[in-house]
Amino acid sequence: MLVAASVVIPILWTLLSGFKNRVDIVTPTPMLFFTPTLDNFLYVLERDSVRAGLINSIIVSGCSVLIGAALGLPLAYAVARYPMRFANDIQFFVLSLRFLPPVAIAIPLIVIWLDVDLYDTRIALIVTYSLLTLATTIWLAIPAFKRVPNEIEEAAFVDGYGPYSIFFLIALPIAWKSLMGAIVFSFVLVWNEFLIALMLTTSDAKTLPVVASEMTQLGRDVPWGILNASVILLSLPPLLFLGVLSSFLSSALKPRNQG
Amino acid sequence: MKIRTSLPIVFTVPTMVVLAILAFVPTIDAINIALQNRELSNPDSVYVGFANFRALVDDPRFLNSVWVSIEWEILTVVATMAVAVPLAVLLFEATSPNVRNALCVLFIVPALLPRVSAAFVWRFAFHPLFGLAVYPLRLITGHPVDLLADPHTAMLAVAIVDVWQWGLLFSVVIVKLLETLPPQPLEAARLDHARTWEVYAYVALPMLRGALISLVFVKMIESLRAFDLIYVMTRGGPGITTETLDMYAFSQGFIESGRISYASSMAVLMMIATTVAFTVLWRRVRRWQEV
Repeated sequence: MLVAASVVIPILWTLLSGFKNRVDIVTPTPMLFFTPTLDNFLYVLERDSVRAGLINSIIVSGCSVLIGAALGLPLAYAVARYPMRFANDIQFFVLSLRFLPPVAIAIPLIVIWLDVDLYDTRIALIVTYSLLTLATTIWLAIPAFKRVPNEIEEAAFVDGYGPYSIFFLIALPIAWKSLMGAIVFSFVLVWNEFLIALMLTTSDAKTLPVVASEMTQLGRDVPWGILNASVILLSLPPLLFLGVLSSFLSSALKPRNQG
Repeated sequence: MKIRTSLPIVFTVPTMVVLAILAFVPTIDAINIALQNRELSNPDSVYVGFANFRALVDDPRFLNSVWVSIEWEILTVVATMAVAVPLAVLLFEATSPNVRNALCVLFIVPALLPRVSAAFVWRFAFHPLFGLAVYPLRLITGHPVDLLADPHTAMLAVAIVDVWQWGLLFSVVIVKLLETLPPQPLEAARLDHARTWEVYAYVALPMLRGALISLVFVKMIESLRAFDLIYVMTRGGPGITTETLDMYAFSQGFIESGRISYASSMAVLMMIATTVAFTVLWRRVRRWQEV
């Protein structure tokens, strides 16, 4: 119970403070009752930097997730279903991409994008993030495809389906629920990503986390209410997927009897 | 299915090519830049051999950041598991399935928050004058306590946030794993008058050994990515007490001096160290799991 409280209270407190006037936040004793105000949210939503950040975030995460799914799912299927000589090597390679420290990728990429004149553009971010979404999608989709019962695919083959139509018409729809989880997970990862965005953008292509973090660095006389509001805005999209992800987690951890 | 088809090649090759380009171009370029003396403000540069690496060895701030990174890694991995395992057992033992499921959903929330948000939520809660988390401390001591500005507590305070995100998530994972265990061995142990903690310590958790080891492995990788937390909460401060390797590389390459080559040489060292360490560990993990 205590732990549950530790989850709820700080978040709730931030949420409440988003609706507080400055006077009510800067009190020596925490205040629970106050006159709520929407000013903070209105202010945040009217800021151009926040709007631009929101649009950038949506475009960048959307595109890189799509690329990750379009290229990643077929590979995952091929690794899961067809005995290949390099299957293990491919899996390890994809996993090893997760070992790379993000700074280590970001620093050379600054130089590369500067040299080709794409620094601080959405394209640069999308391409960079695709590495992230690809690795994540592949890693999570392989077990999802393996859980599709082999018998169904064999039956489809007997019915005269070719290998490609088995993938598109049988395997994809059956594994869809778990695959959705994998794709959503890669979305949350990219949406929340901060370091690479911070290093690869300076003004035009800033994503929401970068904008929000800049607001948190405003110095001593901090407009806390506004900050709280902007942090809440940033956190909403990942939380929308809470349901999808928690059921994905449950199904991914179910014992695989059919193995 | 024993049919000849182009599918494996068509599905594999293009993606692997894209992945390889995305992964190897920056990696190779990182090495290339590390051997030059390039700066952000000035695109002209010459090759300087290993000068950057030699300079690193004599840089006390670099050595400090290596130490801070190791400390951070150990602290967060141990603390996360120390929170996750008992909490999971508690959840599994003491709550009804409905309550447990509700709590599980709740415990995923911190991990879903963008780290920037999580860091901010807690920075706000730790605020010396009106933070909620330090309110009791303020009442007891009578004066404001700034955990994040005190060199002794800063890293601990940041680690709390990391464990808040990962420890709770892992406890959910472990609960779900416990639910998949066959109940018979646990019941047998109970019939033999094993105490509750013994049932878990000697029967249930060893059955999950492989999964637990993987969780530790995942956490080790994730702990390397604490940049966002540290950046928002302390920026490596006070002084350089929470300056991890990535934080230092970032400030060298970006804010303080724009010495991109110097930063890149750090990045290369990090890449080599983590790749070697995790490749070795991964092989080990695989072996332990198979036993």
